[in-house]
Formats: sequence, C-alpha cells, structure tokens
Amino acid sequence: MSKSNETRYIFSSGELFQKDFSIVLRKDEKNIYLPIKDTRELYCFNDITLSTKMLQLLSKAGIIVHFFGYHGNYIGTFYPKEQLISGRLTVAQALAYKDKRMMIAGAIVKGIARNIYFVLYHYYRHGKNEFKDYLDWLRKDVPNLVDKTNDINQLLRVEGAIWAKFYQSFRTILPESFAMNKRVKRPPDNPINALISFGNSLLYTKVITEIYHTHLDQAISFLHEPAERRFSLSLDLSEVFKPVLVFKTIFDCVNNRKITVEKHFDKKLNYALLNESGRKVFIEAFEERLNQAFEHQTLKRRCSYKHAIRLDGYKLIKFIMEEKSFTPFSLEDKK
Amino acid sequence: MLTGTIVNYYTHCQRQCWLFSHNLNMEDNSEDVRIGKVLHELKKQGTEEIALEGIKLDKLTAEYVTEIKKSDADLAAAKAQLEFYLVTLYDKGIIRKGCLECLEKNKQSKSVHTLVMSEEDIEERKAYYRQIEDFLEQEQPPSPVFKPICKKCAYYDYCFI
Repeated sequence: MSKSNETRYIFSSGELFQKDFSIVLRKDEKNIYLPIKDTRELYCFNDITLSTKMLQLLSKAGIIVHFFGYHGNYIGTFYPKEQLISGRLTVAQALAYKDKRMMIAGAIVKGIARNIYFVLYHYYRHGKNEFKDYLDWLRKDVPNLVDKTNDINQLLRVEGAIWAKFYQSFRTILPESFAMNKRVKRPPDNPINALISFGNSLLYTKVITEIYHTHLDQAISFLHEPAERRFSLSLDLSEVFKPVLVFKTIFDCVNNRKITVEKHFDKKLNYALLNESGRKVFIEAFEERLNQAFEHQTLKRRCSYKHAIRLDGYKLIKFIMEEKSFTPFSLEDKK
Repeated sequence: MLTGTIVNYYTHCQRQCWLFSHNLNMEDNSEDVRIGKVLHELKKQGTEEIALEGIKLDKLTAEYVTEIKKSDADLAAAKAQLEFYLVTLYDKGIIRKGCLECLEKNKQSKSVHTLVMSEEDIEERKAYYRQIEDFLEQEQPPSPVFKPICKKCAYYDYCFI
C-alpha cells in the first residue's frame, strides 16, 4: 500500500551526505535528518551538493532523486540501479510495441478524452453551457475516431485536437489574467503555460517513480515514440492523469486565488515562470491531490491517486503478459 | 531450477508461484515480507547461512535442517519448502530431519514442527517437483481466484486490478 507521504521536497540549497546510515541535509550550519525508512523519493529544487557515497546509499535504499533547475525546470532523475527486472516481460513489452501499439496508444487517447470530459462536466453542470459541443464530441466522436485510426500519426492528430479544444475551454473557466492563447512549452511564455509546464513535469517525475516500482521498461512506449526520451513510457502513462492531477490542481489554485499572477510569478521574466513561493503552493496542492484517497471500484479498497498510477502500470503488464484488456484510469469510474 | 521459495509458493498459490518464478515478484509492496526479512537477519546473526545449489538453509546441524518462519499462516507451504531442502540434501547423501520454527503461532498450538521423511515420501515429492517444473513452462499464469487470504497478499493489486 502506498503510504501517504514518502516524498521529500528540498527547496533550500545545501549539502546532502550520509551519516550513521541516514541522509542528512546540511544547510546554514544546521543538520536536518531525513530518515531512509520513510523516504522513497527526493525532489531537489535548489543547488544541492552530493557525493558518490551519498548516491550509493540512495541506490541501496532504492530512493529516486529528481533534480530541478533554478527556474523550476526539470533537469533529470537519479535512477537507482534497477531492482525489478523480468526478462520475460521486457521481451513481451517490446513485442507489444510491434503488434499491439495501436491498441495501447488508442486506449490512452480514449482515456484522456474520458477524464477531460469528467473534469469539464462539473463546470457544464454549473451552467457553462458553451461546453456542450465539446463534451458531446469527447464522449461520442472521439472513441469512434480512435477506433477508425490505423496509424499512429492519425491518432496523434486526434490527441492534439482533444488538448487544443481543452485549452480553449480555459477562457470560460479561468480569470482573464490566466487567459491562454496557445500552448507554448520551452520556455513557457505566460503564467498559464508556466503552470502547465511545471505541473506536467512534476507528474512526469511521479510516474517515473511509480514505474520504477514495477517491472516495466521505461524506454518502451506506445503513444510516444520510444526514441523520444529515455523514459518515454512515463510520458504515456502520465497522459490520462494530466486532467485529473495537473489541471484540477491548476483550476483549484487559480480559481481559489491560492496562486495569483502578481504574487507567485517572476515579474522580471514577464510572469512567464513560477517563483519559489508559487512552486511551493502548487506542490502542496498537487501532493494533497496525489494522496487523496478514493474507493477503488475494482479492488474494493481505498486507494490514492498516486497509487492509481502504479495500478495503471500493473494493468499494462497484465495486458502484455496475460492479454487482459487495458483501460487506463478513469476519474468517473474510479478504477 | 526449483528453489525452496518456488516450492513454497506452488503449494500456497500457483499464480503467485508462476509470477514469482518469472521474476514478476511483488514482495516489494509488502510490509509483512519486510518484517520476515528483518526477522531472518536477526535470527541468523552469529550463524552461517548455508547455500547449496538452489537452496539456502537457515540452520544445519548434525541432526536437523531448520527453517524459520515469521508465522504459521501457511504451514503446509512452509513444510513443502522444508521437505524440498530435505530431498535436495538427501540426493547429496546428507540425511537430516526437518525442523520448522514459527515465531508467531496464530493457527497451530505448537511453534516447532519436526519432519521425518521416508524413502517413499522422497520419491513422491520428486514427482511433485517435476509437476511444478512442467507448470512453470506454461506461457501464462493461471487466472486469479479470489480467496480471503488474497486480501493480505503483496500480489493482490496486480491480480485483481
């Protein structure tokens, strides 16, 4: 069972070292002890110095470390030498890329549409009638379009259309200061793009950690090209969780004024980047959502959204190994 | 090649056995397994663990092979594991009695069980091991069947998702 908190965020600069088989963060002449027992994942958002000896301890304890740069940009992950490998699964996963790629990629795209539908339906029910066409399209047309595609580029065009229409809906949901003309990635050019980029990279790292605890190979992906990035399977599995975890967090932070353009973005950079306090607010809201529990309809037990990511990994393994159908997490069905 | 754990799992749950022996192990998820490992570490302090091909013995004396378990939750499976050790040793000309120590007794009244095997028993077990080897050749694991014990299993999420 995933415990509620195994993640530690380090916002200050300092040195990480090993003392008495504990991880110690030294900052401003003070030592802060991080017990290994309750730590599975570390996030470093500032200048952190660490040695090979520290990496050895982290590796032995199976602790993953994600590094972010000064501006909150994702740098990379320290990925301890793999513990869980099943040759049989790796071979089957590669074969699935060859034979069942469209089935898996199609299931992911349908999953994105389902979860966006459910997130926006909430606003529709509260009077945003202008969503009706988009909602109908998501529910009725997208599954048909996906089923009719027979190559990955066609499918990616459907996916692109889903997201583009979703971003257009922000005009109705969010205040004008967070209006969005178009999605701009590296670097983002305005507050909403900054929030999306930061949220997506946080989610990406969370999925890396969950996949690490399964036997799946991070490099063999289905919707994204395996060559795209080393951990492209994390990109695949994060897609259906974006509406659930990233965008619901953004809507909550912006609409409840937990995050404002004036206070939480860097003015010098034209408000196109979150500042440190903005990142802290966002991470807190994001963590809360990850650890929120719901009653899982298939397993019949309480389950956090974070654990639901791992469960999608298990579903994929079962599809690959045992031909059990693969349906990614659905916020509506709670499974 | 069979191991003590595989024989234990085959008796306990065939699906778990198949997954485990194809390296789809899920023990990572289980606090109980972690406790078991720690107890194992504590118990073996000061004694040498003996490893022969495929088997790792907690304790080997002139008379006994001892296997230590956290609890007596599945005694039949623990016995099958110990028998496997006895048979493997027998084939090497080492004849011992088995001794099973359960640190927590929840189901049985006694915490130490002694095993003695006849030659017929040994032949019968060998046929059983060939059956396990055939079973592991299958392309896919058997489908999960829910039993109350599944709720505590480290494989629960994977089996029933």
